[in-house]
Amino acid sequence: MKNWFNSGTPWIWLNAGAISIALVAVFGLLFLILIRGMSHFWPANVEAFYYQNAENSLTVIAEIIESETVPADTVRDIDIKEGNITRYLVKTGNRDLLGSDFRWLYDIDLVRYEQPDNVMVLERIEWGNFYGYLNSVYEYDTKVSNEGNLWSEFESRLKRSADIRQQILDLEQGEIGAINYQLERLRLKERRLIIDNELSDSALNKITEKRKALKVEYAGLLKQTQVLYRDINRDSIRATVMDGKVVSIPLEKIVKAWQPNKFTLIEKLNFYVSSLWSFIVENPREANTEGGIFPAIFGTVMMVILMAILVTPFGVIAAVYLREYARQGVVIRLIRIAVNNLAGVPSIVYGVFGLGFFVYFLGGNIDSLFYPEAQPAPTFGTPGLLWSSLTLALLTLPVVIVATEEGLSRIPVSLREGSLGLGATKVETLWLVVLPMASPAIMTGLILAVARAAGEVAPLMLVGVVKLAPDLPLDGNFPFLHLDRKFMHLGFHIYDVGFQSPNVEAARPLVYATSFLLVVVIVGLNLTAINLRNKLREKYRALDN
Amino acid sequence: MDNTNNSQHISHKFDQEMEDLRNKVLKMGGLVEQQIGGAIEALQSVNAIGAEEIILRDHKVNALEVIIDEACTQILARRQPAASDLRMVVAVIKTITDLERIGDEAEKIAKMALNIAEEDAGFNSRYSGISHLGNHVHKMVHDVLDAYARQDVDAAIKVVRADDKADVEYQDLIRLLITFMMEDPRRISEVLDVIWAARALERIGDHAKNIGEYVIYLVKGKDVRHLDLDEVEKIFSLDN
Amino acid sequence: MSEAITTKIDSALFTANESEEDTEICMDVNNLSLYYGEAQALKDINFKLKKNKVTAFIGPSGCGKSTLLRCFNRMNDLVDSVKVEGEIILDNENIYAPGVDVTSLRQRVGMVFQKPNPFPMSIFENVAYGLRLQGFKKRRLLEEKVEWALKGAALWDEVKDRLDESALGMSGGQQQRLVIARAIAIEPEIILLDEPASALDPISTLKIEELIYELKSNYTILIVTHNMQQAARVSDETAFMYMGEMIEFGNTNTIFTNPAKKQTEDYITGRYG
Repeated sequence: MKNWFNSGTPWIWLNAGAISIALVAVFGLLFLILIRGMSHFWPANVEAFYYQNAENSLTVIAEIIESETVPADTVRDIDIKEGNITRYLVKTGNRDLLGSDFRWLYDIDLVRYEQPDNVMVLERIEWGNFYGYLNSVYEYDTKVSNEGNLWSEFESRLKRSADIRQQILDLEQGEIGAINYQLERLRLKERRLIIDNELSDSALNKITEKRKALKVEYAGLLKQTQVLYRDINRDSIRATVMDGKVVSIPLEKIVKAWQPNKFTLIEKLNFYVSSLWSFIVENPREANTEGGIFPAIFGTVMMVILMAILVTPFGVIAAVYLREYARQGVVIRLIRIAVNNLAGVPSIVYGVFGLGFFVYFLGGNIDSLFYPEAQPAPTFGTPGLLWSSLTLALLTLPVVIVATEEGLSRIPVSLREGSLGLGATKVETLWLVVLPMASPAIMTGLILAVARAAGEVAPLMLVGVVKLAPDLPLDGNFPFLHLDRKFMHLGFHIYDVGFQSPNVEAARPLVYATSFLLVVVIVGLNLTAINLRNKLREKYRALDN
Repeated sequence: MDNTNNSQHISHKFDQEMEDLRNKVLKMGGLVEQQIGGAIEALQSVNAIGAEEIILRDHKVNALEVIIDEACTQILARRQPAASDLRMVVAVIKTITDLERIGDEAEKIAKMALNIAEEDAGFNSRYSGISHLGNHVHKMVHDVLDAYARQDVDAAIKVVRADDKADVEYQDLIRLLITFMMEDPRRISEVLDVIWAARALERIGDHAKNIGEYVIYLVKGKDVRHLDLDEVEKIFSLDN
Repeated sequence: MSEAITTKIDSALFTANESEEDTEICMDVNNLSLYYGEAQALKDINFKLKKNKVTAFIGPSGCGKSTLLRCFNRMNDLVDSVKVEGEIILDNENIYAPGVDVTSLRQRVGMVFQKPNPFPMSIFENVAYGLRLQGFKKRRLLEEKVEWALKGAALWDEVKDRLDESALGMSGGQQQRLVIARAIAIEPEIILLDEPASALDPISTLKIEELIYELKSNYTILIVTHNMQQAARVSDETAFMYMGEMIEFGNTNTIFTNPAKKQTEDYITGRYG
């Protein structure tokens, strides 16, 4: 036993055990959110449950979310107290008719359940999914379908309405949005001139003329959209719900329609990929519980990139000063301790600081100095992208400083001397030899910074992240990058969908899916940075020979 | 300043090798000295057996020369000696060449002694001059080896100076022997043998002088060959 | 042999051993002392450096020979606590006088270090580094100079086809010659070599030594080396240093056959310690 202990084997086992636990934890976590999140997009088969007892009969059409067998006496809302009972959590959809998306079903009085071929699922703009049977397609009040072409007629008309909806969206968000933006700028310009007492008649005329032109353009576009709105309202369908009621649904309200029980495996996969894709690239709907999360992904990436752009020069300059120029002594040691301690300050404190200093103080002053025309509406004096990036840059600054200092200290003295010996000044040596050599270390700092910043949510809630941001911080309107805008963030999105949404049960898979995407985004950002660092490392491989 | 270096090298093996080399040279010197003594003795006492012994023993001197040469080459190749060590090795290489020549000359004398012994049983007292030259040269060899062993520059200079006296004695002896030949032509071949022996002795004196110069080079690092001795002494006294 | 001739040989062999011909003096070191804080690293060094000669500094580790070498291009300035007394005269000017431009001094006094330290750039950029610092911008001119320097460092034939490759891919010996090329590209007057071959294999070492011999005709070279045989092979003058003092300075032949000082003798014969 003692020999075995002294041989070192137990330590190897201990190490291996620790590593295995870490690996299992990491992969388990990833696996969980992957399965929970990604299965949401799978077009599950729809079941029809038939109930029959003495008094009445009932049909329920729903997707099975989960099923379990439990002792009957643990279930409160039934009368049976003996034996086991199987219950199903099912998604019935049709929130507008039934009041909720989910319900529990029990196998009491259950005659049979099957998967009817012609069950149809609709994804709607409002009220979540619809489950039912398609009866007929109407153009205005005329029935245009017959038995043979029912589904194909529906699909082709659905495609038309989707196209029109896209056109409306393009018009509203693109051209009409641009006109609104220009009108707003004109208004601000005018106010500016008024404030500066420089509003001459000619300037006013110019503005008025421009405004008139824009308004004419706007009216034209508005007409176009009105036509489109009328077009999109043309078609509707009649569908039977599970209790036999027939409802009319305008095609305008339908995003997507499918008949899952008719799908082959390939078709299901196809459908899966396309819904996953639309989750990634579409805007959210219905208080974030439906639609995609593209603005959140975009906001997260944008914020992290801005943060990296801000933190790198600050961190590198600070590290260069600390390592290369400052006289090493008590003061510098204190500064180092302070910098290291900054890394340990809870992130929410940074958020408070960012709100107090950046948003209210800096932003407020910027507004009163540069944007008096927009008052009392704040421009920079309100949480926004710039302040979020700056706050996170502050948060990650210690990491970059420490990593850069470490890198600087590792550059062989002989290289600096070689440069100085050729008549280079200290700055030239730093710029041409030392910093390029230290760039892998700087990248390492940046990788750590990105990893930390991308995952932070708490401070962002104070300095710029919102539940729903209508405009992306990057668009086609000058100056293209709008640092003052609020933005969406995956981390906050998770919190919002998971805890603040009106329909928590329906949104739960989205929480997992969003978490998974957040992880993917962070890993992606990190991999990019690591890849870059490895290339730099190869290029500036230290002289170890 | 005393430039002889007796402190130890960091490498004791090197110390051993140098010590070994020195001892071998002294051993060779001792052997050569013995050869000269024996040859002169054989000449004086017209001892054919003694002379043959000398002749037979010469190969030992030659063998020692080869061994020491080999040792020097190895030290040069493996130790790259510098300064006093370098001078030591260089001096040894030259010294053993001269010692070997001395050995050859001693062999020559022994051969002459053998010739004389075959021709005539008695060694004429008229040749006592050669005994005198022989003793002088013998002493020179002894002194120079002594100087070498003790690295004594003064003793070496004395040996170098003593060569002049050997040259003078040789000239005197030759003149005397020529007189003998003129007096008694029947003894010409015998006298010629003696002349050869005298010539050999004179050469031994020259070699001893050379060795003395090597000792000076070894100790002082100056090559004093072909230089005026008084001048050399003056410089050395200035050095000190 | 006549009296006159003897005297002539005498003087040739004895008195004039250290000054065969009158060579120009390149640098004049007067009473140079250097302190690291309180510790004195160089003690009152005096000597004259001859132009277009190779001067070697030998001595045990920590004797101050590298420190002395670094005095010539004021590399010691980089250490905070260093204080220098005395003067080094280069072209009638004390390089330690206030107001001396250190960067231009370093362009006049090039330096090559113990470990090859090519910059992490291409071979071409390495050699052009010093030239670019001096403001050379025209590609053609740079190319000419780089070729000239690489030829001067006997490296051109080996690298002319891969000038754009990273210098870090070269062998140690090639890197060291590249560093020498880098130093001579800016055409210094003096080249300081700080144990230039100590990290190289014997063949590369010989190539460097051959290069030193060739460079001698155009540059004054100072070399610090631990390898006494190397000092003996490449140098014209040798200085032996011990504990911050210059024990002996003189002709290499004399130092290696008949040094004047016992300390020198002990060191070069391996009796030191």
